[in-house]
Amino acid sequence: MIMVEGTSQLCNDLLVDPQDVVMLVISWHMKAATMCEFTRQEFIDGLQSIGVDSIEKLREKLPSLRAEIKDDNKFREIYNFAFAWAREKGQKSLPLETAIGMWRLLFAERHWPLIDHWCQFLQVRHNKAISRDTWSQLLEFVKTIDPQLSNYDEEGAWPYLIDEFVEYLTENGCVQRNK
Amino acid sequence: MCRSAYNMVLHKYGEKLYNGLESTMTWRLKEISKSIEAAQGGLFLEELNAKWMDHNKALQMIRDILMYMDRTYVPTSHRTPVHELGLNLWRDHIIHYPMIHGRLLDTLLDLIHRERMGEVINRGLMRSITKMLMDLGPAVYQDDFEKPFLEVSASFYSGESQEFIECCDCGNYLKKAERRLNEEMERVSHYLDAGSEAKITSVVEKEMIANHMHRLVHMENSGLVNMLIDDKYEDLGRMYTLFRRVPDGLSTIRDMMTSYLRETGKHLVTDPERLKDPVEFVQCLLNEKDKHDKIINVAFGNDKTFQNALNSSFEFFINLNNRSPEFISLYVDDKLRKGLKGATEEDVEGILDKVMMLFRYLQEKDVFEKYYKQHLAKRLLSGKTVSDDAERSMIVKLKTECGYQFTSKLEGMFTDMKTSQDTMQDFYAKKSEELGDGPTLDVHILTTGSWPTQPSPPCSLPPEILAVCEKFRGYYLGTHSGRRLTWQTNMGTADIKATFGKSQKHELNVSTYQMCVLMLFNTSDGLSYKDIEQATEIPSTDLKRCLQSLACVKGKNVLRKEPMSKDISEDDTFYFNDKFTSKLVKVKIGTVVAAKESEPEKQETRQRVEEDRKPQIEAAIVRIMKSRRVLDHNSIVSEVTKQLQARFLPNPVIIKKRIESLIEREFLERDKADRKLYRYLA
Repeated sequence: MIMVEGTSQLCNDLLVDPQDVVMLVISWHMKAATMCEFTRQEFIDGLQSIGVDSIEKLREKLPSLRAEIKDDNKFREIYNFAFAWAREKGQKSLPLETAIGMWRLLFAERHWPLIDHWCQFLQVRHNKAISRDTWSQLLEFVKTIDPQLSNYDEEGAWPYLIDEFVEYLTENGCVQRNK
Repeated sequence: MCRSAYNMVLHKYGEKLYNGLESTMTWRLKEISKSIEAAQGGLFLEELNAKWMDHNKALQMIRDILMYMDRTYVPTSHRTPVHELGLNLWRDHIIHYPMIHGRLLDTLLDLIHRERMGEVINRGLMRSITKMLMDLGPAVYQDDFEKPFLEVSASFYSGESQEFIECCDCGNYLKKAERRLNEEMERVSHYLDAGSEAKITSVVEKEMIANHMHRLVHMENSGLVNMLIDDKYEDLGRMYTLFRRVPDGLSTIRDMMTSYLRETGKHLVTDPERLKDPVEFVQCLLNEKDKHDKIINVAFGNDKTFQNALNSSFEFFINLNNRSPEFISLYVDDKLRKGLKGATEEDVEGILDKVMMLFRYLQEKDVFEKYYKQHLAKRLLSGKTVSDDAERSMIVKLKTECGYQFTSKLEGMFTDMKTSQDTMQDFYAKKSEELGDGPTLDVHILTTGSWPTQPSPPCSLPPEILAVCEKFRGYYLGTHSGRRLTWQTNMGTADIKATFGKSQKHELNVSTYQMCVLMLFNTSDGLSYKDIEQATEIPSTDLKRCLQSLACVKGKNVLRKEPMSKDISEDDTFYFNDKFTSKLVKVKIGTVVAAKESEPEKQETRQRVEEDRKPQIEAAIVRIMKSRRVLDHNSIVSEVTKQLQARFLPNPVIIKKRIESLIEREFLERDKADRKLYRYLA
């Protein structure tokens, strides 16, 4: 098992910041169950899936791994993977702080203009953990609804939190919506 | 003459005969027309009529004489039969004769006008003339009389209605309209063709009623609203009958009534003065319902559409005030507690049925259930119910309305009371030796699920009481192993014998808390607040209220407080009030009466109701998804609402939250392709 120190070591060897999003991509390849932990099997299978067999080769692969985020399909998989990966063991939901951190990380690469408002809204109004449904539906929201919310439909079966977010944006004048 | 005519036709002189007839008649008629024309004034019509009578007689004779020609020559040569020919010639040469035509019409219309203005006219003559026109052919009647008659009538009534509406109030206007309508119908029956009735009444209806509907209904000081307020059954009945004749007439009345009811109702339920007394408030609602029921019954012929409008208005405004369920329950509580004392069974049923009517209007029936339970519990435990039968009757009505589930717990409460009685009898039968001279205990054993949830705060019972309570506990658990008993000291009462002054004996009826406090004074004359608090362990808010009722209420001050201030403070000291007096031997100090909740209590109850709704909503969602397997969001919301609306109106936002919770707990999932669809996970 590679644990926290091991992961830290790995990052050093790869010459990347532990906060670098590429670590997430690598973890995804490895189907790692938990952040900062790799079982032997996960590690080996992961390297195989990336197509490398040494740290140096892995280091070379880093730019292309980073690029995988730009791919729509892969991004969706990585995004949804991230939820379970970032969770505490035995928990069903994601603590808010962690969720915000992950979102910022992910949407830094895939630009979403409302990310700051979203995080602010959560901190001011929600203050609770994030459910899996909310997590995955947010991606749908980001992908389908434009930043001015012109195509947002109240009857669209969006999670309650997202409905609240839209209300929050309207109240604070961030978007103009005709009711 | 017949024979000559017969012969002529036989010998093929039919044509000559016919032509001769025609020309002779024509010539004769032209002469007649001159004489009619010459008639002066009133005689014109008489002359016309007289000549018509003659003509008819003549025609009959001619027809008889020329019968053979009518039967043989006329059909084969396609000529007009004799009688008809005679009529047509009359029409062409008399009626349509320019000097007569206009004058005839003018005369008829003038006479009708005069009759409308109050004069008496020769109806017989009129009858004869109009019959003549009908005989000449419906087209003649219609073109030469009826059409102009209708036009003139329309403008007459248009003018008259305008005049009336400026100077009459609504009730009087309607009387006049009704009278005019009746007049016209009578006119038709006396001297116009029956076919004219529908047409002339429709003219009057349009001019006098339809054109002024809104103005009438809205008339200040005398319109519909005033009639409703003043119970003007006759005027309202008249309005209903008249307006029913015109399109949208009844809906005009109905809409006005509805908006008036909603306005008044809204004021009633939001008026803070009214809301101070819940029982009065509900009585007002019942009175309003009664009043309008009567109006619909007496004046509107029990019209179902009006009944529906009344119901929907009540439903609208009753639910504007979210305390309505609580207040209706308090009303029933008042009636069952004392209001129905001495009432006959009929009266009881009547009042309860009326209350059920109001109950049906409630959207939040589950809130009512919660309050009803609370109030019922207090009634049962304090023994303060006027009639067991009345209580049962109410339960039956609720069950009929809402189903077994609604009332099963309420019925459980009654069962508990009965069972407790039996238990107590058995307890005393078996244990009387052991108990000896101790205080007499009367225990009500309440099944937790059926009674309103109460916290059971701590309370130190006096030793004498504790002893007998423990004996009971031992006895009960002996026969009911596996159960757990918790004393609800905040719900009990006690009767204590007390001696004041020289030897004033009184029996005090108090709450359990009050008893605990008073018993302390058996061993001390004076105690501080802190002493009492420590000894009894009663929570401070309850203790303060308890001490207040024992020391600060005139006529019930069995304790004396120092200082003599109005409120209880933690620095106060209490003394047994030796100087207490009362005219009554039995003094009631305990308070277990149901009352309007305070604001914080109300919030708490509402919160509990909201909590109770969540599992109900979830159960409904699961039921629906289990049977439908896959369903879109909006359909779930409407199905859930349909299933639950007999109890309350679920909030779509809450439904959404419950769906998300069910997704989290893996009862449901979103469809992979369509995110608006949910799937049931077996």
